[in-house]
Amino acid sequence: MALVLMLPLGYVVVAAATTDLAVWRRLWTTRIPELLLNTLSLSAGVAVVDLILGVSLAWIVTRYRFPGSGIWDWLLMLPLAIPSYVLASAYTHILHRDGTAAHLWRLVAGPDASVFSPFSFAGAVLVLALNTFPFVYLLARSAFQRFNVAFEETARATGAGRLAVFFRVSLPVIRPSLMAGLFLATLYVASDFGAVSLLRFQTFTHAVYQQMTGRFDNAAASCLSLVLVGCAGVFVFGERRFRRQSRFYQTTGRYRPPVPRPCGPAAALLLNGGLLLVFMAAFGLPGLLLIRWTVDAVAAGEVSPGFVGHMWNSLSLSGLTATAAVVCGMPLAYAATRRRTWAGTLCAQGAYTGYVLPGPVAALAVLVVVSHLMPALHGTMLILLLACLVHLLPVALQGMESALQQVTPNLEEAARSLGARPVQSFRRVTLPLVRGGFASAWILVFVQCMKELPASLLLRPAGFDTLAVRIWLEASEELYHLAAPPALLIVVITIPVVLLWSGALAGPGRRDTRADADAADADADGADADAAGATGAPSRAPTGRRFRRSP
Amino acid sequence: MPVAVCAPALLAALLAGAPAGHAGDDLVVYSGRAERFVQPALDAFQAESGIAAQVLTADSTALINRLHAEGARTAADVLITNDAGSLERARELGLLRAHAFPGLETAIPARFRAPDNSWIGLSGRLWVIVYNTALADPGALLSILDLGEPAWNGRIAIPAAGSVYLQTGVSVIRAVMGDAATTRFLRGVKRNAGSFVFEKNRQIVAAVARGDVAAGLVNHYYIHRHLAQHPDAPIALRMTDQGERGMGLILNAAGVGITAHVKREHLAAAQALVKFLTAPEGQLLFAHANKEYPLNPLVPAAPGLPPLDHVRIADVRLDRLADLRDPTMTVIETVGLR
Repeated sequence: MALVLMLPLGYVVVAAATTDLAVWRRLWTTRIPELLLNTLSLSAGVAVVDLILGVSLAWIVTRYRFPGSGIWDWLLMLPLAIPSYVLASAYTHILHRDGTAAHLWRLVAGPDASVFSPFSFAGAVLVLALNTFPFVYLLARSAFQRFNVAFEETARATGAGRLAVFFRVSLPVIRPSLMAGLFLATLYVASDFGAVSLLRFQTFTHAVYQQMTGRFDNAAASCLSLVLVGCAGVFVFGERRFRRQSRFYQTTGRYRPPVPRPCGPAAALLLNGGLLLVFMAAFGLPGLLLIRWTVDAVAAGEVSPGFVGHMWNSLSLSGLTATAAVVCGMPLAYAATRRRTWAGTLCAQGAYTGYVLPGPVAALAVLVVVSHLMPALHGTMLILLLACLVHLLPVALQGMESALQQVTPNLEEAARSLGARPVQSFRRVTLPLVRGGFASAWILVFVQCMKELPASLLLRPAGFDTLAVRIWLEASEELYHLAAPPALLIVVITIPVVLLWSGALAGPGRRDTRADADAADADADGADADAAGATGAPSRAPTGRRFRRSP
Repeated sequence: MPVAVCAPALLAALLAGAPAGHAGDDLVVYSGRAERFVQPALDAFQAESGIAAQVLTADSTALINRLHAEGARTAADVLITNDAGSLERARELGLLRAHAFPGLETAIPARFRAPDNSWIGLSGRLWVIVYNTALADPGALLSILDLGEPAWNGRIAIPAAGSVYLQTGVSVIRAVMGDAATTRFLRGVKRNAGSFVFEKNRQIVAAVARGDVAAGLVNHYYIHRHLAQHPDAPIALRMTDQGERGMGLILNAAGVGITAHVKREHLAAAQALVKFLTAPEGQLLFAHANKEYPLNPLVPAAPGLPPLDHVRIADVRLDRLADLRDPTMTVIETVGLR
């Protein structure tokens, strides 16, 4: 399985290795240094903005109680529902030199003032940061919610100030979650081609797409891909190393969730205002634009008649991809977190390559590999499914691995010592505990797949246009009012899914079904077991109730 | 996985069954041309012949790469692109099928067809200068190469290097003027355009109309498209390189070919479609929809287009565009255009 997933990488390596040295030299002198600088600085810029936005918003939402705080909890997730290319076209419209923003700014700053151009480094950072900060926000928020306040209280009791506690206790403890969020955001930025091509900002992925659509041979595209994959490989390796070094389990049974502090009216107004600003920038304004354009299109009777078909195509492709990603990802994630053999690690690392391989190259590689090995798949939806799977499996893996890591291995060992077979222990102990994490992985893949563009553009069978493809075809003709209805539909379909994801991530303490209560028990018991194991005391069997029920 | 999560996926899979398997009897058309300029002609063809067609719209080069990778198993019966160079490249790769039908010789002149008719030009598109009538003096623009002169520094907008139109235009200039003059021209254009490098022709025309720049390089119909929406826009088309020793205007053609691996039961339908597109009714729908020049001499140009009867066109055969393109890309990249 993992080998199949690594085929695209193999294709890129072989294609780049067999490329003429002259091509390499030309690329090195004309393109690579600039692209390297642009890609790295864009990723870094977006990461910094994401970190500031994500952590501060998560802190405000989890630690303060004010009128409206409950709504922001989920409103701040909605930007994930807007595809990057839609956000980019909205901002090219908003920041247009004859646009409303420019007129307003001229009233303030004089007739010669101009708003900054979206076609710049700052523009690309703005759009991609507004698009990706929810990754960091979500993971930081759920980490803050699961946070054991005892840590902070201990620090306060020993004399640390509020700021010192935040920077020296709270932040370091949620570091794995922040890294996971930044990891998703950075890979998203590195593999995005919709927004950067609309904003004319040259990154590797954009350049690869230009090479592929501008040339008949893919040698140069493969070379650029290889450099990108190399950089991403270093990044992925570094992230996993970091994660291995800083693995936290809850170490006490006396877990208490944080209690939000109530705010006065002035503070509440300030916080609401700040949150509203971020929300409008990332979701409200583009959403209103989409609605306006859609109304224009409907009024003019220009909505495509195949609209419902496109919707079903998008839904079915995303549903199948997400399911396949979770099913295929389960053994890989398990191997990577539990069985630390080199083969298991290699499998998991290999699967990550699909995400950093630029979408168009991943698609082309799948096409070539399939035509040699599985010609029967040609012209079917399966080939597209495979490309989406290769491209998005890492998203699922990331979430599933985090979930598995939070279940201490002692739980499974305890189950085994009580006579459960490996499969049994996985099904009855591990699975109930990681179900939320796995569901959120499914949802995340679903959402990403709804927005997926390059593979669908290159591999869809004739007559299988998805919503994203329709948006791209219309938007590349700059017919925004025609692109708006499918874009609005993607947003509308994705919103509940995003909210569901937030529920799945919110953790066991927030829901009250019987099974979740069991899982919460197990979590606390597992933490006990871990602590007990560390001090050499005999471990208790986890969730005794569940085990008593079965013979 | 919980049933709650799997169920919607399986449901979606079932529902997908119908649209996923595209109707086997329909003709499959791979099209590099915008759907709204292809679909009207296909609808008319269906009304006339009863043959329906499924269109797959994508970038021309990507479609040819895909046809190449799919080989004999391709679903495509017909290929339409906006660039004769792409069609010729498809022919060289063995992706198209030679054919002929009575009346073809008179319908489309030989210089707009492949020698073996494996592709046939349908509509002509000129790569021209659009200028702002308040900011530029058309008298100073005798040749397209003038845009590389220092006088235009900071005053022009150009397409990105990925643009097929730019590649075709530069290929023609190279074929006529040689590499040295072309490189000099591109260096000048790169300097003069600065950051006014656009992915879309429409953005170039809009920049000229706003007065951000005085002139730009675009396909002719974008000028007419802009004027149709903004009749008062201060822009005009400049026909350059005329006169005795002029290079002539740069003309490319959108065209059609039947794939080498067309399904046997679809061959007759594919030929009927090509014949329909070259006949007057098809020509009107295909070319006029986008204000392009119909290549069938019996069909007049759309109203408002300057007639081409007495206009000098650069003497570079369309079927040379394929071979010219890769070295052209190298020149473009060496100069450092994006």
